[in-house]
Amino acid sequence: MTQELTAILGILLFPGLLFFSILGLFFEWIDRKFYAKLQNRVGPLYTGPWGLLQPFADFVKLMSKEDIVPEGADRPVFSSVPVFALTLTFFATLFLPVCGPQGIISFEGDVVVLSVVLTILVILVFLGGFSSASRYSEVGAERSVLQLLGYEIPLVASVLGAAAITVSTGGSLSINGIVEAQRDWWAILGVQALGFAIFLLAAQAELERVPFDIPEAETEIVAGWTTEYSGRKLALLRLARDVELAFLCGLGATLFLGGPQPGPLVPGLGGVIISTMLFVIKSVAVLLLLTIIRAAMSRLRIDQMINFAWKWLVPLSLLQLLLAVVVPLVTA
Amino acid sequence: MSSLVDIPIGPQHPAIKEPINITCYVDGEQVIGAKLRLGYNHRGIEKAGEYQTFIQNLYIAERICGICGIVHAFSLAQATEDIIGKEIPRRADYLRTIGLELNRIHSHLLWLGVAAHEIGFDTLFMYVWRDREMVMDVIEEFTGNRVTYALVTIGGVRRDLPQEKAEKILKVMDVLEEKVKKYKEMCLDERTIRVRCDGVGILRKEDAIALCAVGPTARASGVPFDVRADDPHAAYDEIPFKVVTYDTCDVTARLLVRIDETLESINIIRESIRKMPSGPIRARLPRIVPAGEGVGRTEAPRGEVFHYVRASGSEKPFRWKVRAPSLANFLSVPVMLTSKGDYVVYIADVPIVFASIDPCMSCTDRAVKFVDVSSGKSWVWTFGQIKRIYWRDRS
Repeated sequence: MTQELTAILGILLFPGLLFFSILGLFFEWIDRKFYAKLQNRVGPLYTGPWGLLQPFADFVKLMSKEDIVPEGADRPVFSSVPVFALTLTFFATLFLPVCGPQGIISFEGDVVVLSVVLTILVILVFLGGFSSASRYSEVGAERSVLQLLGYEIPLVASVLGAAAITVSTGGSLSINGIVEAQRDWWAILGVQALGFAIFLLAAQAELERVPFDIPEAETEIVAGWTTEYSGRKLALLRLARDVELAFLCGLGATLFLGGPQPGPLVPGLGGVIISTMLFVIKSVAVLLLLTIIRAAMSRLRIDQMINFAWKWLVPLSLLQLLLAVVVPLVTA
Repeated sequence: MSSLVDIPIGPQHPAIKEPINITCYVDGEQVIGAKLRLGYNHRGIEKAGEYQTFIQNLYIAERICGICGIVHAFSLAQATEDIIGKEIPRRADYLRTIGLELNRIHSHLLWLGVAAHEIGFDTLFMYVWRDREMVMDVIEEFTGNRVTYALVTIGGVRRDLPQEKAEKILKVMDVLEEKVKKYKEMCLDERTIRVRCDGVGILRKEDAIALCAVGPTARASGVPFDVRADDPHAAYDEIPFKVVTYDTCDVTARLLVRIDETLESINIIRESIRKMPSGPIRARLPRIVPAGEGVGRTEAPRGEVFHYVRASGSEKPFRWKVRAPSLANFLSVPVMLTSKGDYVVYIADVPIVFASIDPCMSCTDRAVKFVDVSSGKSWVWTFGQIKRIYWRDRS
């Protein structure tokens, strides 16, 4: 009974929904603040200390706004996309090892499940854009799927490459195995550095941020696939995007920076706190890298993005996958 | 082709800051053709001018454009002085030149920021606009205002430039030159800017000539057309400067023309301050302008501005006609946005291509036609008819 209660509390409060909602909003704040700093601006300032509550205030404001569904929209699909998007991102976060060597859900092969979830999220984007019956949304939806064709293989290859670090410890396709394998040696410090770079670019594309914010290019197609969303639905979509940001930063930290390691070595409550701190700090480090990429480039065109992905990202990611598997075998 | 979809950009759209409608006919991501529709911003300024005196009109003219206001006030003053037929003091010419060039610097920097934003490079946008503030501050010191300067008056200028202020301008120009050179380097070196601008929005030289493109748009297509050099006015006849041209005819060329022109303007300001003679800044001209016609033209940041004034011997103009540069450049836009052979335009190119002519709708809209969208019928109302309808609806 207590075990079930702990599990439910774990999913609802920590390290589940509530923790990741707060973390997502906090990450949005860091992203905005650091982005502003890079651009010589001040960023959010007035809501809460240093504008910390600005993302939350935006969320509350959107929740109270009028919610419009366009006349020609496919109502059931249009309305369910934000809910599914948020549910799926929350589902994905349950795999992350926030306060220990494994997440709430953990089984052999969960890395593959995560890759599938990331792809389904893009298909939701496509459904949302296509069901809103707006020309801007449709162009945005088309672009998001085209973009997926470009970055999906590199993303999966970099994630699988990270799993290859477990070769020396017997081989595993689970987050838990990858985290355990990085007990005294972070993956990024070896052949995985290339994989980490590829992961960052692919994550940037998954999150639709500059230079890959093509599906929601503001100056071209208004807000892309989210053009017709408003009110509560937009609030949920934005929260989903924030949680996805936290999730992908966390995933990067887990796969390449050792996640909560070496926190779990400390027993008891202290270990949980240290693990969580380490996890968040490493995720923030990944986030800052993503923000720097966002600030230092301009938006590519969709054809240029696909060209870049297939000419450079895909071959490089296959190469790094090969290296990640072969090098440990040779050196072992 | 039945697969064509028309995507409307504007009159309300994040890519354009003022109302205009560009309808793009697209096949997938490829733009097959484009159509422009103007007339969302008609303010009846020319008509209003007929009810005001010449001096009052200067301040209306300044409000034709919020960015290059001094250009319009200058051209109107020039046209009026043309009718009166009196020379103005030489020092006033130099002060006007300084005003025009400061205006050009701030307009080109503003454009550079907007262009960076259009291709999603917000960091460059923020940096450029931060540095543009320096010019704005200098303009405020010089004229007393940040936006509508009220510097030019008929017969000269309203404010002198004391030595200490001139030195301050020179100091700011030094800092600015460094910054602008850095931005030029940035635009040339940053890969993502180059791939978005190179070979995009091509306007070939013969098209530019045939479509009467003006200003940086024409000069980026290799047409060395610059009113400052072709028809020297103010102090441009005594100040040597280079007419910047590039011949790659694409957005990169327009980017570089504007950046190089900014550097050129900095030099013109330095030279003007150095050569400026002392003396009065204003000649007293009669309030009542004799009957006759006059024209004033100058090179605005966007191209040639042309003012025509007809006076009937009273203190108010009989007719005042303004032709802003954007109107001339709009004709080139559909050409730039039409895919032809190897030249492919993508939807993503539309904002930056349209922005590359530095459109200014509030300058441009001089005429208005009413269109019933459902039936396609169009008609024109006279001023009297509009007044009648207005009063009918009010009662």
